Amino acid sequence: MRLADAHTLIPKLTTTPVEPEADRALVEQIASWCDRYTPWVAIDPLGAALAVPDAALVCAAGGFGGDAGLLLDVTGCGHLYGQGEGGERALMADLVQRLTRHDFTCRAAMADTAGAAWALARYGEKQADLFCPRNGQREALAPLPIDGLRLDPPTIETFLKLGLRRIGDLYSIPRAPLSRRFGDLPLTRLDQALGRKDEPIEPRRAPPVFRSRISFAEPIGRPEDIAAATDRLILALCRQFEQASVGARKLELALYRVDGSVDRTAIGTSRPNRDSPKLLKLFGEKLGALDPGFGVELMILGAPEVEEWTGAQDALPETGKPTRSSWNEDGTIDLADRLALRLGAENVVRLAPHDSHLPHRVQVPAPFAMPVPEGAWARIAAMKGARPTRLLQRPEEITVTAAIPDDPPRQFQWHRHTHKVVRVEGPERIADEWWHPRPAGQIAPANIVPPVRDYYRVEDNDGARFWLFRDGMVNTVKWYLHGFCA
Amino acid sequence: MTAISPSNPAPLLSAALREQVRRLERAHTAQRAGRSAVPLGIPEIDALLPEGGLLTGALHEIEAGPTPSGRIAPHDGAALGFAAHMLGRFETGTILWCRQPPVGIDALPYAPALSAWFDPARLLMVTARREEHLFWAMEEGLRTPGIAAVLGETRATDPTAGRRLSLAAEKSGVPALLLRAHPAPPQSICTTRWRVTSAPSPEVPGIEMLGAARWQVELRRNRFGLPSVEEMPAWLLEWNDETHHLAVVPQARDGSSGAIRRERLAG
Repeated sequence: MRLADAHTLIPKLTTTPVEPEADRALVEQIASWCDRYTPWVAIDPLGAALAVPDAALVCAAGGFGGDAGLLLDVTGCGHLYGQGEGGERALMADLVQRLTRHDFTCRAAMADTAGAAWALARYGEKQADLFCPRNGQREALAPLPIDGLRLDPPTIETFLKLGLRRIGDLYSIPRAPLSRRFGDLPLTRLDQALGRKDEPIEPRRAPPVFRSRISFAEPIGRPEDIAAATDRLILALCRQFEQASVGARKLELALYRVDGSVDRTAIGTSRPNRDSPKLLKLFGEKLGALDPGFGVELMILGAPEVEEWTGAQDALPETGKPTRSSWNEDGTIDLADRLALRLGAENVVRLAPHDSHLPHRVQVPAPFAMPVPEGAWARIAAMKGARPTRLLQRPEEITVTAAIPDDPPRQFQWHRHTHKVVRVEGPERIADEWWHPRPAGQIAPANIVPPVRDYYRVEDNDGARFWLFRDGMVNTVKWYLHGFCA
Repeated sequence: MTAISPSNPAPLLSAALREQVRRLERAHTAQRAGRSAVPLGIPEIDALLPEGGLLTGALHEIEAGPTPSGRIAPHDGAALGFAAHMLGRFETGTILWCRQPPVGIDALPYAPALSAWFDPARLLMVTARREEHLFWAMEEGLRTPGIAAVLGETRATDPTAGRRLSLAAEKSGVPALLLRAHPAPPQSICTTRWRVTSAPSPEVPGIEMLGAARWQVELRRNRFGLPSVEEMPAWLLEWNDETHHLAVVPQARDGSSGAIRRERLAG
């Protein structure tokens, strides 16, 4: 039906344009909010093959493009709300209550399998039925319409034509003819829903192995309270690290605000770290930027990246001599981490040597935690001719006057200033690295001379020293300024 | 000079003399504070510096001077060389090098050349887009044990930031260096300020090759330092890149430098 026709039928019809992007973003936001219950949250991929955990909870935002849904694996999460089954019931009630408070219409169901929970959330009739007790999915699913099996519409239509209206109707049908007639999908779906086949949920964000959380009876908002809570979270997490003999490479702090939004911040360290004061100091840089909004009711600190602990270990008493616990006990690594946090990791680097003829490829930025062998640079410098103390990131084209094209420059013009060349040293010929594939992927034809640069060190009439090069063949010669010498 | 007592009325003293007294007094204050210094390895210069060298817990500024023809060059090869020589005098520990890349042409310090002064593996290179980040990074570095020296490359002249750097350096005993590609206004706080300009290399008749690099170095500010014969002592230095040795060019064999302010060369 066209919109115009619809308006003719119902003049008062209210219409809103479809905004799939905004819908998606909202579902993402709700999913992010659901992280408070479990790290294992997935957005229901609607019709795509889902897979089956022990216990799953499906929360369907009703009327939302039909049936946008979220899958939460809450295995082992109910104890935060109460003992045993009661805790899981309380968790679900809490979820529905909070979402309703934020004006979302939702239905939640909990079952041992994602499939069963999916069907219950969408087609379960009585409120009491939405919580399916352990191993109760067979009975719970039996009265539900066949649509609850997550099948494609043509299959469902055929089932209906055959008089198979309820999921329970399939229980008694022999499996072999069913799979011959309809393919594997209906049986797979049935098995998944009943828990006979595994269906893992792929979480939206990789759940961190190490996590600690703290919830507040009253929302907090003062920066010092947030810092104190962060301190406690870090301590708790560091205890977990010690037991597992790991250190954090990345930590992520999530603030769950009372208005339902989540603010996250992360820190990275260049080596495994479980020193709580240092970690807190790193977070100190970020805490100021966090916005508690109207108040924070829950904080979760996760460690998405951990590495085996390589740091300090106390010296054994019998070795007698004091040992340096690590190569970098003096704090420069921590300094680099702190700087990288504010300025970006790419802006805090070490200069690492790279084996190359080309001047601009010799020096590459490397993470500071990666040590450069002592004397490596001196060896490289000894192999090369005189080099400038500063190298231009991009060579600057200059106008050069030379007696004949192959001659060293007599004078050059750069930045509107003419430098009269008094002394020259060179050329030093540096050829292209023909053994490397070209950037575009093609290989230079064998009969063409690879690009060659002739480098000159020159001194102008002011005593300033420059590093110039000539590029190209005789009739296409171009001159560039590439660096400044001491 | 021993006859001058602090109670003497100031107008009786000439301005130069008063300046000398002030410097002497400051020199003693510095001695009392028990600060250490690292010699630059150039006896003529070290003789004028407090404690016979570059004070470690202090701020030092090195600026690129205008060329002999009076032009401000958009590069600082000589000043960078002199700063690298200073850094090389601090032999152990990490060197924090903070840069605020200039708009337009950006030339990175080049490790193969720097290795003449110190092992570039010791460098921690930091790029800060904003000057407050640069000064913050420098201060953080000054507070970190294991940092041998901190160098900041900037065009910003913030007296407050300079003061903070100076205090942080004093507290930790780590030297802070500021390298400027342009001459800076003189009000900023520092213990020593140097102006370095490249000078023509020695002339060898018949040979047009580049000789050893020469720098004209002026000591424009020398807090706590000893007074020199001149108000602003200057030297012509020669860097030998074979022996890695920096020395004052002896006047006698300085045949070529007649053109450049010979009257400023300190004996």
